[in-house]
Amino acid sequence: MHYEDIEVGFEIPTISKGPLSTAHVVRWSAAMENWAPIHYDWRYATEHDGLPDVLVNGSWKQHVLIQCVNDWLGESGWLWRTSFQYRGMTVPGDTLTAWGRVTAQRPAGRYGVVELEIGLRDQKGVETTPGKATVVLPMRGGPAVPYPFDPAVLD
Amino acid sequence: MTRNYIDAAVKAIIGPWSEWIEAEHPLESSELRRFHQATIDPARRYWDRAYAERSRYGGLVAPPALPVHAFRRLSSSLEDPFDDRVDPEFDGSGRYMRPGLPKVPVPLAGILNGGYEYEFFSYARVGDRIRCRSCYRDIVQKDAKRGPMVLVIIEDEYATGDGRPLLRSVNTQIMR
Repeated sequence: MHYEDIEVGFEIPTISKGPLSTAHVVRWSAAMENWAPIHYDWRYATEHDGLPDVLVNGSWKQHVLIQCVNDWLGESGWLWRTSFQYRGMTVPGDTLTAWGRVTAQRPAGRYGVVELEIGLRDQKGVETTPGKATVVLPMRGGPAVPYPFDPAVLD
Repeated sequence: MTRNYIDAAVKAIIGPWSEWIEAEHPLESSELRRFHQATIDPARRYWDRAYAERSRYGGLVAPPALPVHAFRRLSSSLEDPFDDRVDPEFDGSGRYMRPGLPKVPVPLAGILNGGYEYEFFSYARVGDRIRCRSCYRDIVQKDAKRGPMVLVIIEDEYATGDGRPLLRSVNTQIMR
């Protein structure tokens, strides 16, 4: 994929995860050794913290967003920057779909920089994790995006 | 009147960077396997050694943001965090938000992750030693419908043991 293949409004392929279960949450918590009880102790989550259920970790959801962008980029581009906010809670039973849409693009040095709006939408259409991403793509006929990535190449 | 949690003790921890802290063990292939399986991410660069060695990475690499999870309980730690489980305010973290930073002295019970900003430079490879330094960029109080909440904004830099930059992050933790 090259910078010239992209235009504003382009929607990258979505990926979906779910329906998510408590087992997904516990698998992640165990892998990360995250013992915050809001992720596995229903009584603590609901009675002590006043939450609707145990929560799917925000730390897990971020990797779904990153995966969505990186699956689209393949090995030729580089996910340079991303940011997102955990605004909506995700609980067992939910299905999340990661999406992205190109909002701007510009040449930078010998490469192309593309801005995206990204997010995680649940099965009710609620945007739980709105965010942004900035990716770097090679130009057609130009050099490969360097790895490790050094932002100075965009000057 | 709402209590002001941003007192002198809180203000004193804003700003200074921690020392560089190194994760106890190099990135392990089993650690990477559990990570990409838990995130349901089957990209070949995480598990197909031959593919990864031919790629621009030169070997198996981790998902971009794995370094933020690389700092686990030390094997030499004799204090079991579950001993605090009898405390109804136990939040699993003991208020330590980063390995090199002091606790945030705010007596609010709940902690939620508010979000991240990332800038990526390279991916951790199996065998890399992951290092991190951090600072509290700011700690501010806001009043919400449910009562006061304190936003803890943490800036981190991650690199390998031989100095290769991995990522920068800004994370917002919400105490309420």
